Amino acid sequence: MTEVPLKVEHDGKWVVVKAAVGEDRITLPAPVDKEILFKSIFDLEEKKSVLVLTVKGNPDAIIRIASVEKVLIVLKRLILASCNAYRLMAYFMSPAIRGGVLAKNAQWEKGSIVVVKSGIWFASAAKQICVPLPDVAAIELTKRDVQGKQTDVVRIDHVESGEVVSSLVLCPLSTLQVLANFLKDATKGIDMAGTELDAIDQQVAMLVYSGMDSHAIENMLTIPHKQLDEIYDRIIKLGIAEVTIIRREVQLTTKGVRYISDATKTQTN
Amino acid sequence: MGTILIVDDTLFMRTLLKNILFSGGHTIAGEAANGEEAVAKYKELKPDLVTMDVVMPKVNGIEALKSIKQLDPAARVIMCTAVGQEQMVKLAIKSGAKGYIVKPFQAPKVLEEVKNVLAS
Repeated sequence: MTEVPLKVEHDGKWVVVKAAVGEDRITLPAPVDKEILFKSIFDLEEKKSVLVLTVKGNPDAIIRIASVEKVLIVLKRLILASCNAYRLMAYFMSPAIRGGVLAKNAQWEKGSIVVVKSGIWFASAAKQICVPLPDVAAIELTKRDVQGKQTDVVRIDHVESGEVVSSLVLCPLSTLQVLANFLKDATKGIDMAGTELDAIDQQVAMLVYSGMDSHAIENMLTIPHKQLDEIYDRIIKLGIAEVTIIRREVQLTTKGVRYISDATKTQTN
Repeated sequence: MGTILIVDDTLFMRTLLKNILFSGGHTIAGEAANGEEAVAKYKELKPDLVTMDVVMPKVNGIEALKSIKQLDPAARVIMCTAVGQEQMVKLAIKSGAKGYIVKPFQAPKVLEEVKNVLAS
C-alpha cells in the first residue's frame, strides 16, 4: 500500500486525506472512511483534474477525487486495470487524426481498451485517454497501412471541443469485430439509420463541419437565405446539427440613413 | 500568407478550400480540376503552395505531385486524402509532399497545416 495525498468530496465539501492505494483497492481514511475495491467500480470519468468513480453498492456511490496529475495517472491505471468493464489488450493510436489533419508524432501504443458505462478509455502505462460515449461520432471497422501492410483496425471518431478526433485500435480481427460490435451496441444512440440527406443538405452539413457560417454557405452554394433556413430545419430535426446563435440582419431606417449622411458630411468637410 | 493553387476534381471541394484559405488571408493563385491541369497551372503560376487531391481523373494527385517536384524540387504540396486513404500519405511523403489533410476537414486545422508548410 502506498500513501498518497488526495482531495475527496465528502458531504458536499472537499477534504484532504492520505489515501492508501494498493493493487486492488483504495482506502480513504476518516472523515470519508471508505474502502473501495477497484473491481467494484463500474464507471470512471475524468472531468478536468477530478476523477469521478461510480462504485457498485446499495445504493451505488459516486466518489469524486482530485489530486496532482502524477497521482491521478497512477489511480487511473490501477482502476482501469481492475474495474468492472469490457476490457481488451490492444495497440491503440489516440489521437490519430484531429480535425482532418493526421496527428504529428502519432504512434501505436501497447495497452488496453476499457469500455465503462460512460466512456471508452485508451490506457497504457504512460497515458489514459477517455472518449465519453455521448461524444462518439462514428465507429468503423476499416483498414490502415501498418508497417507497410494493410491491416484491420477499428476507427473511433469523437467530437472534442468542436473538432472531430479519430483514434485507431489494432488487435486480431476476431477481437476487433467483437470490439466494433460491442462499441456499436454501447453507442447505439448514435445510430444513423434513417438519417438520409439529399445532395444539397449533405453539402450544407459538410460546410458547417468545415466551419463555414451561414453567409459563407449561402455564397458558396448560391442559395437564398430562405432555402438555407429550410435545410437547417431539416438537419436540426434529424439531430445532426444544433442552433448555436441566432444572428439578425437589419437595414437602416430613414433616421439611420440621415445619421450616416450627416456623419459622412462631417468626415468629408 | 502565400499564393495557393487548389487542385481537386470537385468544384464543391475547390470552393470550400478557396473560402477557408481566403479567410486565412491567403491569395488563391488558381484552381485545377485534374493532375494534368495542375502541372500546367503550376508552371504558369508558380504558387507558394499547392493543395492536391489524391484521387482525380486523367493524372492522379500522386503523379501530379511527382511531375511538379521534377519541375521544382522546392515545391510545397499538401495532399488532400479522404478518410481511409491515409495509406496514400506515405506514398505522397515519399514523393515529396510536405503535408497532408484528411477530408472532411475543419478550417482551423487546414490553415494550421498550410501555415506550417509555408514556414518550412
